[in-house]
Amino acid sequence: MIDLKNLTISNTHSSLLNGDFTVTELIKEYLAVIAEKNSSINAYLEIYDDIFEQAKQAEEMFQNGTATLMTGIPVALKDNMLNEGHIASASSLVLKNHVATYDSFVVKQLKNQGAVFLGRTNMDEFAMGSSTETSAYGNTKNPLDESRVPGGSSGGSVAALAMNGTLVALGSDTGGSIRQPAAFCGLVGLKPTYGAVSRSGIISMGSSLDQVGPFGKNVTDTEILFKAINGYDEMDSTSVKLNDRADAKPLKKKIGVPKSFLQGGGMEPEILKNFEESCKKLENAGYEIIDISLPLIKYSLAVYYIISPAEVSSNLARYDGIRYGLHEEADKLFEVYTKSRGKGFGKEVRRRILLGTYILSHGYYDAYYNTAIKVRHAIKEELKTAFMEVDAIITPTSPFMPFKFGEKSDDPIGMYLSDLFSVPANIADIPAISIPSGKNSEGLPFGLHIMAPIFREDILFAIGKDFEKLV
Amino acid sequence: MQLEDIKKLANLARIDMSDQEMIDIAKDFDSILAYVGQVQEVSKINGGNSSDSSTLDHQLQNIMRDDVASNQSGQYTEKILRQAPATEDGFLKVKQIL
Repeated sequence: MIDLKNLTISNTHSSLLNGDFTVTELIKEYLAVIAEKNSSINAYLEIYDDIFEQAKQAEEMFQNGTATLMTGIPVALKDNMLNEGHIASASSLVLKNHVATYDSFVVKQLKNQGAVFLGRTNMDEFAMGSSTETSAYGNTKNPLDESRVPGGSSGGSVAALAMNGTLVALGSDTGGSIRQPAAFCGLVGLKPTYGAVSRSGIISMGSSLDQVGPFGKNVTDTEILFKAINGYDEMDSTSVKLNDRADAKPLKKKIGVPKSFLQGGGMEPEILKNFEESCKKLENAGYEIIDISLPLIKYSLAVYYIISPAEVSSNLARYDGIRYGLHEEADKLFEVYTKSRGKGFGKEVRRRILLGTYILSHGYYDAYYNTAIKVRHAIKEELKTAFMEVDAIITPTSPFMPFKFGEKSDDPIGMYLSDLFSVPANIADIPAISIPSGKNSEGLPFGLHIMAPIFREDILFAIGKDFEKLV
Repeated sequence: MQLEDIKKLANLARIDMSDQEMIDIAKDFDSILAYVGQVQEVSKINGGNSSDSSTLDHQLQNIMRDDVASNQSGQYTEKILRQAPATEDGFLKVKQIL
């Protein structure tokens, strides 16, 4: 028996090098956990049929001395990442039988390093949601409390990790879809800088906001997986060349807290209390915590709910029932479109496509989309100025604790508020991480959210590692 | 927002929907649009400072590549067409257009 709970990438790597266990033995242990727990948690939608071939290839890399830290490490893939020859459905009916015709950049990178993909995980349909309840393939339960949601949209990936059904996982984050579920399940989740990780082969939601990122049980695992997928890719025209990225600089050990933003209302009192305790811990660890004024940051969520549906309505126009995906028979081509899309998309996706269609329509474009683009720019500038004084900005990850199934399903604005603290990072293209910051009396986890300037993931890892020791 | 407005949007977005769903969406839209409408306050509080779009574009640049084929003709055709609901002689098959 391998003690899966205490495995990290580096101690697993040592064990594989030393021959304490083989990749195949490791994978079998994970498959046993999945067999036991997945039927109730529903983290994985599919376990891949080529796992043991992948494991064999990883073992060969150990034998011929080409193994890296990621070789033989089990990874769970969110269902919106293309893995050639396997289904990638974005947890939508419209892509139920869609088989990927090529590898996404992140999959290709990890295949080269010999990582083992265990399967694809459940998510909110096309990543639109904060609870994984909009999936066409059922709810995913929070392994820490099965009456509650795991967060979303990357709920399956985070639940797979929280139930010890994988060692690390990949998610994608458009407004908080990595960080909020990490907080809800007591794990670490990173949204990298926009342009750090290629979006090639990721099923698009909001192209100016989407970014792939890692989940880990601790900051170091998250950092290792990030470094394994980080890189320039000419297939993504928003990918930034390594030379054009910021260099690491020594920290000022100064952290900003936007107090008036936090007091804006809606936050559960126990979350504020936990956050204040986190600030004290960081002070004790030698960081200076200062109040900073960010008057525009509170508009991030409104900006997001204009830009993201606009991009959604445009990105999802490709699902037409003709080239791939669900096809409904009809006499006329127009009806093939309307029926295929009407049946293929779920309720939340239909609502957001219509919202985007409205926002981009003649007569409303200036009032919404154009204004949102300007405000987005102003928010970016505001944060850039703030980072001249501080290394990082911290808030709680989510304004509320993991909620129960159905609690927010009929209240779109209530659900959208899940992203209140996480969404500014997407709006400003900056990296941000969620790190566990303790548990409440019911055993539900809190998350600390840290934001840094573009391409300064190193700051998040440095503060994160210091903070992790104090919790 | 009225049912007729939502019908028009559903038609533009090519999505078949029930009347009941459109009535529900009309209701949701009122609260969502009221919320996102906050962005219009910013230009007021920020005065003339909230930059016109011409100054936004300075950081953005187009990424171009040479207009050359990156693969052999037909290399991926079969693989891609296998995903299509209906094909004929290497073409996608569609219903009558008009």
